[in-house]
Amino acid sequence: MTLRQEFQFSQGSLQDFVDCKRRFQLRYIEQLSWPAIAADPILDHERNMDLGIQFHRLVQQHQLGIHEEKLTRMVNDAQLQVWWQNYLQHQPKDLPEQRHTEFLLSGSLEQRRLIGKYDLIAIEPGQRAIIVDWKTSKHTPKRQWLQDKLQTRVYLYLLTKAGAHLNNGKPFEPEQVSMMYWFANAPETPEIFRYDATQFADDEAYLSELIHTIDQLDIDSFPLTDNERHCRFCTYRSLCDRGLAAGDLNDLEDDFSQEDLDIDLDLEHIAEIEF
Amino acid sequence: MDFELAPEQIEFIQQPVDQHIWLEGPAGSGKTTVGVNRLLHLLSKDIAADSILTLVPQPTLGVVYHQAIRNPQHNINGVVDVTTVSGLAKRMVDLFWPLVVEEAGFGKPDQPPIFLNLETAQYYMARIVRPLLEQDRYFESVTLDRNRIYSQILDNLNKAVVVGFPHTEVAERLKAAWIGDDGQANVYDDVQDCANRFREYCLENNLLDFSLQLDVFINHLWSNEQCRSYLQNRYKHLIVDNVEELTPLGHDFIKEWLPDFESSFIIYDQDAGYRLFLGADPFTGERLKESFEVQETLTESFVTSPDVQTLEKRLSDVMERPSHASAYGDAREVIQFEYKQYHPEMINWVADSIAQLVHEEQVPPNEIVILAPFLSDALRFALQNRLEASDVPVQSHRPSRSMMEEPATRCLLTWASLAHPDWGFPPTSIDVASALQQSIGEMDLVRAQLLAETLYWVDDDGPHLASFDQLKHNMQERVTYLMGGRYEGLRIWLNDYKSRKPEPLDHCISRLFGEVLSQVGYGFHQNFDAAKVASNLIDSIQSFRRVAGARPLSKDTPLGKEYFELIRDGVIAAQYVKNWTLQNESAVLMAPAYTFLLNNRPVNYQFWLNVSSPGWWERIFQPLTHPHVLSRQWKVDAQWTDTDEVETNQDTLHRLMVGLIRRCRERVFLGLSELDEQGMDQRGPLLNAIQQMLRNLAVEEDDDGL
Repeated sequence: MTLRQEFQFSQGSLQDFVDCKRRFQLRYIEQLSWPAIAADPILDHERNMDLGIQFHRLVQQHQLGIHEEKLTRMVNDAQLQVWWQNYLQHQPKDLPEQRHTEFLLSGSLEQRRLIGKYDLIAIEPGQRAIIVDWKTSKHTPKRQWLQDKLQTRVYLYLLTKAGAHLNNGKPFEPEQVSMMYWFANAPETPEIFRYDATQFADDEAYLSELIHTIDQLDIDSFPLTDNERHCRFCTYRSLCDRGLAAGDLNDLEDDFSQEDLDIDLDLEHIAEIEF
Repeated sequence: MDFELAPEQIEFIQQPVDQHIWLEGPAGSGKTTVGVNRLLHLLSKDIAADSILTLVPQPTLGVVYHQAIRNPQHNINGVVDVTTVSGLAKRMVDLFWPLVVEEAGFGKPDQPPIFLNLETAQYYMARIVRPLLEQDRYFESVTLDRNRIYSQILDNLNKAVVVGFPHTEVAERLKAAWIGDDGQANVYDDVQDCANRFREYCLENNLLDFSLQLDVFINHLWSNEQCRSYLQNRYKHLIVDNVEELTPLGHDFIKEWLPDFESSFIIYDQDAGYRLFLGADPFTGERLKESFEVQETLTESFVTSPDVQTLEKRLSDVMERPSHASAYGDAREVIQFEYKQYHPEMINWVADSIAQLVHEEQVPPNEIVILAPFLSDALRFALQNRLEASDVPVQSHRPSRSMMEEPATRCLLTWASLAHPDWGFPPTSIDVASALQQSIGEMDLVRAQLLAETLYWVDDDGPHLASFDQLKHNMQERVTYLMGGRYEGLRIWLNDYKSRKPEPLDHCISRLFGEVLSQVGYGFHQNFDAAKVASNLIDSIQSFRRVAGARPLSKDTPLGKEYFELIRDGVIAAQYVKNWTLQNESAVLMAPAYTFLLNNRPVNYQFWLNVSSPGWWERIFQPLTHPHVLSRQWKVDAQWTDTDEVETNQDTLHRLMVGLIRRCRERVFLGLSELDEQGMDQRGPLLNAIQQMLRNLAVEEDDDGL
């Protein structure tokens, strides 16, 4: 079994490959459902994810111009209320006017498609583009951890490489692009990553190498990770004989990523089938 | 698309990018190929991918567009939206909800919408209808499973919105068309009352079933300045494929939006309309054509040979229905059949013929489909066994199949009911034996039965599983200590779970799966099919919990217990996208005929089973609704007569035959047996038509001989 031709690489799938090649194989090549619990307490984990989705939706609605008052009255949860007020009071400043929310961008690399789902891209054509990613994780990750994440590399690279149609047909110069992680629990201290030509070249080489490596591997060459810390929050842990119970939610560094859920399976279609 | 395009296809594809084009033609004439390449052409002209909206009637028909967009060779920056009208509607309702929640009459303006799928809509419908059935004797004269009562009431609400009449007029329309006894009028009144109550309940609680999602979108959001501007600013180019399979609501919506697009490309499949029972209306679809200055037609089939086309023509002639197909070939060259007396003989003949095609003629298995009006479990099982025994890979596709029929589902629910004894659904000893066999690696049914019969019992305190130690030594040895240890692992986990605060049902099953059943030595470890079923079950329970939990009907009844009650009521599981997209591309497909048609994929060989069945002709029994009366083509106040019934059934059969034949390249095999699956002698209209056609051909041959 090999990766489907129409498979689209994303920051999530590439991060999976970097964390554990076997996980990548199970999830994306074999498309194996393995419905174990990812993190405990599961109810808290689920609530965090729900609130994260609600927060992203509220911000998207606000960015689309729906009146703040109409949105605020929809906020019925204390935690969400805190995040929402943090957003209203400490929105990222100096963002360009042209906004693209929950925006999908894709481009080709190594004869493959690379795709990213952006929370917000704010653009001043010909001048600058700012990627904003809303983070609702309990802990604020360290800057180095964010810098090493595939999300940072893929999002900056992809907008530079494939965002010309957002810039009157002209590709952005790497120096025109930056990415901001905005934290709902620490709204006054966002992390900003500026891009440049050197980093762009590094990222292109790195991402190409990753994709090339994946395409060259045969089915027996997707070994389990040596770092068993990655197994704590991996649902395949029982399949790989890497433990019984899920990891502690308090040790989870990142919030969930909705991106990969949305990209491959467009669940909105279910209702159409039912009728 | 890897194959060469015909000159007329290239001409249509390369029309100017500001052109509004209507393209029609029969199935197999390459319209979708043109549509996909038109999309690629727009992209090659630097049109932004996210400004193109591609609408299809259902997701399966959008797969070729997705594949083209995702093909890295096409080097596309950005993502084209390929969706359905209802998909778009749901997205817009979700996004712009705060703007219309009050105007649309919802009772909780400070709360988000709750979208219902078929299961959850039936759950709320059941809660409304059940007391009326039990206390007020609603639907007394109707013999119908409860889940079908619920689904037909929902179907009426759906028909009202897609056809475009108030949902409060359902009974009036149905009664006006009815010419039978007066009792049926009461039934329609019951239907109306239930539909009204359901709609009121939904409005009160921000619940949106399929019909209300569309209603809110079309009647409130589409006229809302902010939502409309969002759509108009985002999408500049429109492609619609299989427009004939959309509903009148979809056609009205497109017609109104059309002038705002810089370009459009609408594809109409002549003689189709297979989703009629879902509200599709090829007639309102065809009327869209008037809006286009450029109207093009493709006529030549890229799929069918002259012989296959002749088969279409000959069958159409016999059925006295028009056909533009040519009749220059010989229909007998492309049909193959053998009369068998008994149904199993016919199954054997089909399996042998397929094995011969695959093994001796090297036909790829995915170039073969087995079609029937309905695919019963028995038929599916018999064919699957026979084909697998002949080393032919096979996959079945039956959309209405409930996941509750899967052994892995039953196994998980058995353990869940033991984990929640207070819910009052104690499994039988047979259930427990079967679950043990599924759960414990290498355990056979004999050992599983031994354990279930000796260590499982139900008394006034509920169900109990005793320890393996309580088995006599000789029995322990028979079971083996290895399996006894695994049994104990499972039993201790269940006991431990019962001693804790109960979790939601989906979490319980997910935890049981991860911590026990999928561990080394247990039955779900390395069992990927069972894991997929478990995943579907957990998704289903979770989606139920998240919806029903937001608006619980009872504070006293745990939602997990309510889910068990849904199962008992036969409410089917929602469909999952994975089931539709993750198809084995190298296997023979077994599917109901309409499912195959709506996959829109030609094949070399088709096997039509149960040709003598009237199921090919009759519409399904729906005493609470009516797809033809509740359509825009029906004249309100007209009466539905036997003649209407026969005529529409003939039309339906003809449309089905033509659709299948136009998706067949080489040959149709007819599965004929004197007696059907139930041992009954049947002679349905399809068999009659085929026999008449063969007689005509024989006479012509004799005449030619003279």
